[in-house]
Amino acid sequence: MTMLKELAAELIGMFVAEKWLTMAVLLLIAVTGSLVDFIGVDRLVAGVFLLFGSLLLLVASICHAARPPTH
Amino acid sequence: MPPWSTAAPAISAAFFASLVEVVEAFTIVLAVATLRGWRPAALGTAGGLGVLAGIVLLLGPVLDRIPIISLQLAIGILLLLFGMGWLRKASLRAAGIIPLHDEDAIFAAETAELGDNECRPSKSLNWIAGITALKAVLIEGLEVVFIVIAVGAGRGLLVPAGLGALAACALVLTAGVLVHRPLSRVPENSLKFGVGVMLSAFGVFWTGEGLGIAWPAQDLALVLFALLFLGAGLIGSIFARKLSVEFA
Repeated sequence: MTMLKELAAELIGMFVAEKWLTMAVLLLIAVTGSLVDFIGVDRLVAGVFLLFGSLLLLVASICHAARPPTH
Repeated sequence: MPPWSTAAPAISAAFFASLVEVVEAFTIVLAVATLRGWRPAALGTAGGLGVLAGIVLLLGPVLDRIPIISLQLAIGILLLLFGMGWLRKASLRAAGIIPLHDEDAIFAAETAELGDNECRPSKSLNWIAGITALKAVLIEGLEVVFIVIAVGAGRGLLVPAGLGALAACALVLTAGVLVHRPLSRVPENSLKFGVGVMLSAFGVFWTGEGLGIAWPAQDLALVLFALLFLGAGLIGSIFARKLSVEFA
Protein backbone atom coordinates (compact mmCIF):
# COMPACT_ATOMS: atom_id res chain seq x y z
CA MET A 1 0.00 0.00 0.00
CA THR A 2 2.86 2.34 0.90
CA MET A 3 4.49 1.52 -2.44
CA LEU A 4 1.29 2.29 -4.34
CA LYS A 5 1.07 5.64 -2.54
CA GLU A 6 4.70 6.38 -3.43
CA LEU A 7 4.05 5.43 -7.05
CA ALA A 8 0.98 7.66 -7.18
CA ALA A 9 2.96 10.53 -5.64
CA GLU A 10 5.75 9.96 -8.17
CA LEU A 11 3.26 9.96 -11.07
CA ILE A 12 1.66 13.21 -9.89
CA GLY A 13 5.10 14.70 -9.23
CA MET A 14 6.08 13.99 -12.85
CA PHE A 15 3.58 16.56 -14.06
CA VAL A 16 3.22 18.85 -11.07
CA ALA A 17 6.77 20.06 -10.51
CA GLU A 18 5.38 23.22 -8.96
CA LYS A 19 1.68 23.89 -8.39
CA TRP A 20 1.79 27.50 -9.55
CA LEU A 21 3.56 26.63 -12.81
CA THR A 22 1.23 23.68 -13.52
CA MET A 23 -1.90 25.77 -12.95
CA ALA A 24 -0.54 28.63 -15.07
CA VAL A 25 0.38 26.30 -17.98
CA LEU A 26 -3.06 24.64 -17.89
CA LEU A 27 -4.70 28.08 -17.84
CA LEU A 28 -2.53 29.20 -20.77
CA ILE A 29 -3.61 26.13 -22.80
CA ALA A 30 -7.27 26.72 -21.91
CA VAL A 31 -7.01 30.38 -22.98
CA THR A 32 -5.24 29.39 -26.23
CA GLY A 33 -8.00 26.85 -26.97
CA SER A 34 -10.67 29.47 -26.24
CA LEU A 35 -8.97 32.00 -28.51
CA VAL A 36 -9.15 29.51 -31.38
CA ASP A 37 -12.56 27.96 -30.77
CA PHE A 38 -14.68 30.78 -29.33
CA ILE A 39 -13.09 34.07 -30.38
CA GLY A 40 -11.92 32.94 -33.80
CA VAL A 41 -8.36 34.23 -33.49
CA ASP A 42 -6.05 33.08 -36.30
CA ARG A 43 -4.66 29.67 -35.29
CA LEU A 44 -1.07 30.67 -35.92
CA VAL A 45 -1.45 33.76 -33.71
CA ALA A 46 -2.87 31.49 -31.00
CA GLY A 47 0.14 29.20 -31.48
CA VAL A 48 2.55 32.10 -31.02
CA PHE A 49 0.58 33.07 -27.87
CA LEU A 50 0.96 29.50 -26.54
CA LEU A 51 4.68 29.35 -27.35
CA PHE A 52 5.68 32.72 -25.88
CA GLY A 53 3.28 32.30 -22.97
CA SER A 54 5.05 29.03 -22.06
CA LEU A 55 8.47 30.67 -22.31
CA LEU A 56 7.36 33.57 -20.13
CA LEU A 57 5.83 31.27 -17.52
CA LEU A 58 9.04 29.22 -17.39
CA VAL A 59 11.26 32.25 -16.75
CA ALA A 60 8.76 33.66 -14.22
CA SER A 61 8.60 30.34 -12.36
CA ILE A 62 12.41 30.05 -12.17
CA CYS A 63 12.73 33.64 -10.91
CA HIS A 64 9.91 33.08 -8.42
CA ALA A 65 11.72 30.05 -6.96
CA ALA A 66 14.95 32.05 -6.62
CA ARG A 67 13.31 34.62 -4.33
CA PRO A 68 13.27 33.85 -0.62
CA PRO A 69 9.78 33.07 0.73
CA THR A 70 8.00 36.08 2.20
CA HIS A 71 6.11 35.37 5.43
CA MET B 1 10.64 3.87 -41.07
CA PRO B 2 9.84 7.62 -40.77
CA PRO B 3 12.36 10.13 -42.20
CA TRP B 4 15.44 10.72 -40.06
CA SER B 5 14.55 14.41 -39.53
CA THR B 6 11.30 13.27 -37.87
CA ALA B 7 12.72 10.32 -35.97
CA ALA B 8 15.95 11.93 -34.69
CA PRO B 9 14.36 14.33 -32.15
CA ALA B 10 12.16 11.52 -30.74
CA ILE B 11 15.05 9.02 -30.55
CA SER B 12 17.45 11.50 -28.94
CA ALA B 13 14.82 12.77 -26.44
CA ALA B 14 13.99 9.19 -25.44
CA PHE B 15 17.68 8.23 -25.26
CA PHE B 16 18.87 11.14 -23.09
CA ALA B 17 15.80 11.18 -20.83
CA SER B 18 16.13 7.43 -20.31
CA LEU B 19 19.83 7.83 -19.59
CA VAL B 20 19.01 10.15 -16.66
CA GLU B 21 16.32 7.83 -15.28
CA VAL B 22 18.29 4.59 -15.73
CA VAL B 23 21.33 6.09 -13.97
CA GLU B 24 19.07 6.92 -10.99
CA ALA B 25 17.57 3.41 -10.91
CA PHE B 26 21.02 1.82 -11.34
CA THR B 27 22.37 3.65 -8.26
CA ILE B 28 19.69 2.11 -6.03
CA VAL B 29 19.93 -1.37 -7.59
CA LEU B 30 23.71 -1.21 -7.10
CA ALA B 31 23.24 -0.22 -3.43
CA VAL B 32 20.96 -3.26 -2.98
CA ALA B 33 23.46 -5.56 -4.74
CA THR B 34 26.39 -4.22 -2.72
CA LEU B 35 24.66 -4.80 0.61
CA ARG B 36 22.55 -7.93 -0.02
CA GLY B 37 24.08 -9.49 -3.16
CA TRP B 38 22.98 -9.64 -6.79
CA ARG B 39 20.10 -12.13 -6.26
CA PRO B 40 17.57 -9.75 -4.56
CA ALA B 41 18.80 -6.90 -6.80
CA ALA B 42 18.25 -8.94 -9.98
CA LEU B 43 14.90 -10.33 -8.79
CA GLY B 44 13.67 -6.85 -7.80
CA THR B 45 14.82 -5.43 -11.15
CA ALA B 46 13.15 -8.25 -13.07
CA GLY B 47 9.94 -7.72 -11.09
CA GLY B 48 9.99 -3.97 -11.81
CA LEU B 49 10.60 -4.59 -15.52
CA GLY B 50 7.79 -7.17 -15.55
CA VAL B 51 5.28 -4.69 -14.06
CA LEU B 52 6.44 -2.04 -16.56
CA ALA B 53 6.00 -4.48 -19.46
CA GLY B 54 2.47 -5.20 -18.19
CA ILE B 55 1.67 -1.47 -18.10
CA VAL B 56 2.97 -1.05 -21.68
CA LEU B 57 0.97 -4.06 -22.90
CA LEU B 58 -2.18 -2.66 -21.26
CA LEU B 59 -1.65 0.91 -22.46
CA GLY B 60 -0.63 0.07 -26.06
CA PRO B 61 -4.03 -1.13 -27.34
CA VAL B 62 -5.83 1.68 -25.43
CA LEU B 63 -3.69 4.33 -27.16
CA ASP B 64 -4.61 2.90 -30.59
CA ARG B 65 -8.30 3.54 -29.86
CA ILE B 66 -7.91 7.23 -28.96
CA PRO B 67 -8.46 9.67 -31.87
CA ILE B 68 -5.12 11.13 -32.99
CA ILE B 69 -6.07 14.78 -32.29
CA SER B 70 -7.18 14.00 -28.71
CA LEU B 71 -4.05 11.91 -28.19
CA GLN B 72 -1.80 14.72 -29.45
CA LEU B 73 -3.50 17.26 -27.20
CA ALA B 74 -3.38 15.04 -24.09
CA ILE B 75 0.24 14.00 -24.65
CA GLY B 76 1.22 17.55 -25.63
CA ILE B 77 -0.16 18.95 -22.36
CA LEU B 78 1.53 16.23 -20.28
CA LEU B 79 4.82 16.72 -22.17
CA LEU B 80 4.69 20.46 -21.67
CA LEU B 81 4.12 20.05 -17.92
CA PHE B 82 6.78 17.34 -17.63
CA GLY B 83 9.37 19.10 -19.82
CA MET B 84 8.93 22.51 -18.21
CA GLY B 85 9.20 20.86 -14.78
CA TRP B 86 12.55 19.31 -15.73
CA LEU B 87 13.79 22.51 -17.35
CA ARG B 88 12.78 24.59 -14.33
CA LYS B 89 14.55 22.23 -11.93
CA ALA B 90 17.69 22.03 -14.11
CA SER B 91 17.81 25.84 -14.41
CA LEU B 92 17.49 26.22 -10.63
CA ARG B 93 20.23 23.61 -10.11
CA ALA B 94 22.48 25.36 -12.64
CA ALA B 95 21.90 28.63 -10.77
CA GLY B 96 22.81 26.97 -7.48
CA ILE B 97 19.35 27.57 -5.96
CA ILE B 98 18.75 23.86 -5.35
CA PRO B 99 21.56 21.30 -4.92
CA LEU B 100 22.72 19.11 -7.80
CA HIS B 101 21.58 15.48 -7.92
CA ASP B 102 24.40 13.49 -6.30
CA GLU B 103 24.49 9.78 -7.19
CA ASP B 104 27.25 9.08 -4.62
CA ALA B 105 25.17 10.66 -1.84
CA ILE B 106 22.05 8.74 -2.92
CA PHE B 107 24.06 5.50 -3.01
CA ALA B 108 25.39 6.18 0.52
CA ALA B 109 21.92 7.08 1.85
CA GLU B 110 20.31 4.00 0.30
CA THR B 111 23.07 1.73 1.61
CA ALA B 112 22.72 3.24 5.10
CA GLU B 113 18.93 2.81 5.03
CA LEU B 114 19.20 -0.83 4.03
CA GLY B 115 21.98 -1.29 6.62
CA ASP B 116 19.67 0.00 9.36
CA ASN B 117 17.61 -3.18 8.97
CA GLU B 118 20.59 -5.50 9.69
CA CYS B 119 19.01 -6.78 12.93
CA ARG B 120 16.19 -8.44 10.94
CA PRO B 121 16.34 -12.09 9.73
CA SER B 122 18.28 -12.63 6.49
CA LYS B 123 15.18 -13.69 4.49
CA SER B 124 13.36 -10.53 5.53
CA LEU B 125 16.40 -8.44 4.58
CA ASN B 126 16.53 -9.98 1.10
CA TRP B 127 12.81 -9.26 0.71
CA ILE B 128 13.27 -5.59 1.71
CA ALA B 129 16.26 -5.29 -0.63
CA GLY B 130 14.33 -6.85 -3.54
CA ILE B 131 11.35 -4.53 -2.99
CA THR B 132 13.72 -1.54 -2.87
CA ALA B 133 15.19 -2.52 -6.25
CA LEU B 134 11.72 -3.20 -7.70
CA LYS B 135 10.44 0.18 -6.53
CA ALA B 136 13.42 2.04 -8.00
CA VAL B 137 13.08 0.30 -11.38
CA LEU B 138 9.31 0.81 -11.41
CA ILE B 139 9.39 4.50 -10.44
CA GLU B 140 12.19 5.50 -12.81
CA GLY B 141 10.88 3.12 -15.48
CA LEU B 142 7.44 4.74 -15.42
CA GLU B 143 9.05 8.00 -16.45
CA VAL B 144 10.91 6.21 -19.27
CA VAL B 145 7.67 4.57 -20.45
CA PHE B 146 5.86 7.92 -20.37
CA ILE B 147 8.63 9.65 -22.34
CA VAL B 148 8.78 6.88 -24.98
CA ILE B 149 4.98 6.94 -25.41
CA ALA B 150 4.86 10.73 -25.37
CA VAL B 151 7.52 11.33 -28.02
CA GLY B 152 6.64 8.26 -30.06
CA ALA B 153 2.85 7.77 -30.04
CA GLY B 154 0.74 9.39 -32.71
CA ARG B 155 3.55 9.62 -35.26
CA GLY B 156 4.51 6.00 -35.65
CA LEU B 157 7.72 6.63 -33.69
CA LEU B 158 7.10 4.27 -30.79
CA VAL B 159 9.66 1.74 -32.04
CA PRO B 160 12.47 4.28 -32.71
CA ALA B 161 11.79 6.00 -29.36
CA GLY B 162 11.74 2.61 -27.62
CA LEU B 163 15.05 1.73 -29.26
CA GLY B 164 16.49 5.02 -28.00
CA ALA B 165 15.42 4.12 -24.46
CA LEU B 166 16.80 0.57 -24.79
CA ALA B 167 20.13 1.96 -26.03
CA ALA B 168 20.30 4.16 -22.91
CA CYS B 169 19.61 1.11 -20.68
CA ALA B 170 22.33 -0.90 -22.46
CA LEU B 171 24.82 1.96 -22.15
CA VAL B 172 24.19 2.47 -18.42
CA LEU B 173 24.30 -1.26 -17.66
CA THR B 174 27.54 -1.71 -19.63
CA ALA B 175 29.16 1.30 -17.94
CA GLY B 176 27.82 0.15 -14.55
CA VAL B 177 29.20 -3.37 -14.93
CA LEU B 178 32.58 -1.97 -16.00
CA VAL B 179 33.02 0.63 -13.23
CA HIS B 180 30.92 -1.19 -10.58
CA ARG B 181 30.08 2.02 -8.72
CA PRO B 182 27.44 4.79 -8.99
CA LEU B 183 27.68 6.64 -12.29
CA SER B 184 28.20 9.99 -10.59
CA ARG B 185 30.25 11.44 -13.46
CA VAL B 186 27.29 11.47 -15.82
CA PRO B 187 26.52 15.19 -16.34
CA GLU B 188 22.98 14.67 -15.11
CA ASN B 189 21.92 18.30 -14.83
CA SER B 190 23.12 19.15 -18.35
CA LEU B 191 21.27 16.11 -19.68
CA LYS B 192 18.16 17.07 -17.72
CA PHE B 193 18.42 20.63 -19.05
CA GLY B 194 18.72 19.37 -22.64
CA VAL B 195 15.90 16.87 -22.29
CA GLY B 196 13.70 19.49 -20.59
CA VAL B 197 14.29 21.77 -23.60
CA MET B 198 13.37 19.01 -26.08
CA LEU B 199 10.31 17.78 -24.19
CA SER B 200 9.00 21.33 -23.71
CA ALA B 201 9.44 21.96 -27.45
CA PHE B 202 7.57 18.72 -28.23
CA GLY B 203 4.92 19.75 -25.69
CA VAL B 204 4.17 23.12 -27.34
CA PHE B 205 4.27 21.53 -30.81
CA TRP B 206 1.83 18.72 -29.97
CA THR B 207 -0.48 20.83 -27.81
CA GLY B 208 -0.68 23.30 -30.69
CA GLU B 209 -1.40 20.53 -33.20
CA GLY B 210 -4.02 19.12 -30.83
CA LEU B 211 -5.68 22.58 -30.81
CA GLY B 212 -5.67 22.59 -34.61
CA ILE B 213 -2.64 24.84 -35.12
CA ALA B 214 -0.66 24.01 -38.27
CA TRP B 215 2.89 25.08 -37.45
CA PRO B 216 4.85 26.59 -40.33
CA ALA B 217 7.74 24.39 -41.57
CA GLN B 218 6.07 21.47 -39.71
CA ASP B 219 8.68 19.35 -37.87
CA LEU B 220 11.40 21.98 -38.39
CA ALA B 221 9.42 24.27 -36.07
CA LEU B 222 10.56 21.93 -33.28
CA VAL B 223 14.13 23.17 -33.74
CA LEU B 224 13.05 26.79 -33.32
CA PHE B 225 10.95 25.90 -30.27
CA ALA B 226 13.89 24.02 -28.73
CA LEU B 227 16.20 27.00 -29.29
CA LEU B 228 13.67 29.33 -27.65
CA PHE B 229 13.24 27.03 -24.63
CA LEU B 230 17.02 26.70 -24.37
CA GLY B 231 17.29 30.49 -24.32
CA ALA B 232 14.48 30.82 -21.76
CA GLY B 233 16.09 28.22 -19.49
CA LEU B 234 19.46 29.95 -19.66
CA ILE B 235 17.95 33.41 -19.10
CA GLY B 236 15.91 32.07 -16.19
CA SER B 237 19.05 30.55 -14.69
CA ILE B 238 20.98 33.83 -15.01
CA PHE B 239 18.11 35.84 -13.46
CA ALA B 240 17.76 33.28 -10.67
CA ARG B 241 21.47 33.50 -9.84
CA LYS B 242 21.29 37.32 -9.77
CA LEU B 243 18.17 37.27 -7.59
CA SER B 244 19.69 34.82 -5.13
CA VAL B 245 22.80 37.02 -4.81
CA GLU B 246 20.62 40.11 -4.41
CA PHE B 247 18.56 38.57 -1.60
CA ALA B 248 21.50 36.84 0.11
